[in-house]
Amino acid sequence: MNLPDIVRCVRWMIRDTIRQSISTKLFYVMVALIAVVTLLCASIKVSDDVAPMTYDWEVPALIPKSEAEKLGLDRVKNDGVRVISGEVSFGFGLTKVPLGRTREDAVHFIQTWLAGWLADTAGVLLALLWTAGFLPTFLEPQSATVLLAKPAPRWSILLGKYLGVVLFVGFQATLFVGCTWLALGCATGVWSSAYWLAVPLLVLNFAVFYSVSVFLSVWTRSTVASAFGVLMFWLLCWLVDYSHLRMLAQPSGSMTPLAQMLMDAGYWILPKPLDLSGIFFDAMNAETLSAKPTELKIAESGGQHHPEWSVASSIAFAIGVLGLSAFEFKMTDY
Amino acid sequence: MTAALFENVGKVYKSGLFSRTQIPAVRDVSLSVPMGSVFGLLGPNRAGKTTLVKLLLSLSRPSAGHVARFGEPIANRRTLSRVGYMHENHAFPRYLSASEVLNFYGGLSGVPGEELPRRSDALLERVGLADRKYEPISRFSKGMVQRLGLAQALINEPDLLILDEPTEGLDLLGRQLLRDISREFKAAGKTVLLVSHVLTEVEELCDELAVLVAGRVAFRGTMAALTADPATGGTRPLETALRQLYTREVTE
Repeated sequence: MNLPDIVRCVRWMIRDTIRQSISTKLFYVMVALIAVVTLLCASIKVSDDVAPMTYDWEVPALIPKSEAEKLGLDRVKNDGVRVISGEVSFGFGLTKVPLGRTREDAVHFIQTWLAGWLADTAGVLLALLWTAGFLPTFLEPQSATVLLAKPAPRWSILLGKYLGVVLFVGFQATLFVGCTWLALGCATGVWSSAYWLAVPLLVLNFAVFYSVSVFLSVWTRSTVASAFGVLMFWLLCWLVDYSHLRMLAQPSGSMTPLAQMLMDAGYWILPKPLDLSGIFFDAMNAETLSAKPTELKIAESGGQHHPEWSVASSIAFAIGVLGLSAFEFKMTDY
Repeated sequence: MTAALFENVGKVYKSGLFSRTQIPAVRDVSLSVPMGSVFGLLGPNRAGKTTLVKLLLSLSRPSAGHVARFGEPIANRRTLSRVGYMHENHAFPRYLSASEVLNFYGGLSGVPGEELPRRSDALLERVGLADRKYEPISRFSKGMVQRLGLAQALINEPDLLILDEPTEGLDLLGRQLLRDISREFKAAGKTVLLVSHVLTEVEELCDELAVLVAGRVAFRGTMAALTADPATGGTRPLETALRQLYTREVTE
């Protein structure tokens, strides 16, 4: 087959995969979840923000104005405690939280939480479980035999299916980030462009782990094996990534050189979800909002953390696993 | 040129840990399917008929021997664009409509995009599904899915049509349609490879046939040669001829 034929095959597979994704009920659940989160973002109001006061010699003590009035304003001021009158309200004023930082910081904090925890952890895991069944269903012998008897090479069919799923998840990530960005911007007047970096990072994170799901699907043709396997693999990668950073921060004398080498090899071969989160954390300038993992901070300050290499090696891993999947798919009898 | 050629072909399926279990499906099969004929492939269950079809469609790789489509080795997938395949138990993606199924498989077969709507409309008309073209196939009966399977096999206007137990689930009109299409193929100098247990159909359509028993070719020749009765010099029913062949081969 020549290149135009392959491009056409990949295009058809992408179109079919998007059609398959839209036909599942979980798609509508995801859209509904995005709508709920967007509504929550639209309900947020920030008032009377203040620049956080920092002292070299102590952590500043902050107290909401209402509390200070109960205790006595003079007494509070004499004790050097700072009274704050700002607040963030959620649910159109239903819940109010005292605010001791600027409006921008407050919004960045919410965005970091939305992209870094909700989307990057819960969203990616949900998407991996949701899409784990796509390929096994597609590879059932009764449906696969007609498809695989077409002139398109098997690897191009697999590639089209993979790209279709990744594009679709990319669409969902864009929808999530776009809707929450718009809602937060309209509600608070803070328009943070760095928040958009979450889209490529979420897609990259998903795409790397989905390549493992593809391999398990081709190898076992089982949805359960694919879903469970990718979940275990995701946990393993977090563990290895975290352990590696911890070793950099606090080198353990009890580790043998062989164990050390294996840990390093595991880190460089496997995807690095924690490192990818760190990139977003830095882009959002989130260090003023919540504590960055100490291990990551130490590794960065020691010049031992290279985000660009983390991204490159994660992509290389995905390409390698996809190549292995294509080989396994080619060698399988139907 | 032959539409399909098998030379000393063997296929062993491996399973279990370290492929310890080996199941031979076909052994030393040599067979050629000439162009412009309706060729029947018969045999009892587990004779290896579907395995041969899968080898011809590049769904499996032979363990031994050589398989060719239109004179080209099966590694050349390009020749698959000249092949249509219909089997007994289609499971198309349930989220697609009849029209989308044809467009999808047609697109993958290399049919140009601008040509697809015309061909798919004409084929849906032909198989009697024109009024259901936008309906999701999850609502289709087995017979309707089989009709759609036939349309799918024809979307790329193939030179070789492979029908593996095609009448399963089809009603009288569907079977008639299948017979008509087979005759049209032959008249146009194209080839049909028919795998079927329905003997009336085989008798009516096939010019030549091969009988597989236990993975080997037990007979290869014309219908007249198979039904000729050596004892009386007359003819015998196809069923009788096949029963003798199956029993003899199994006994041997």
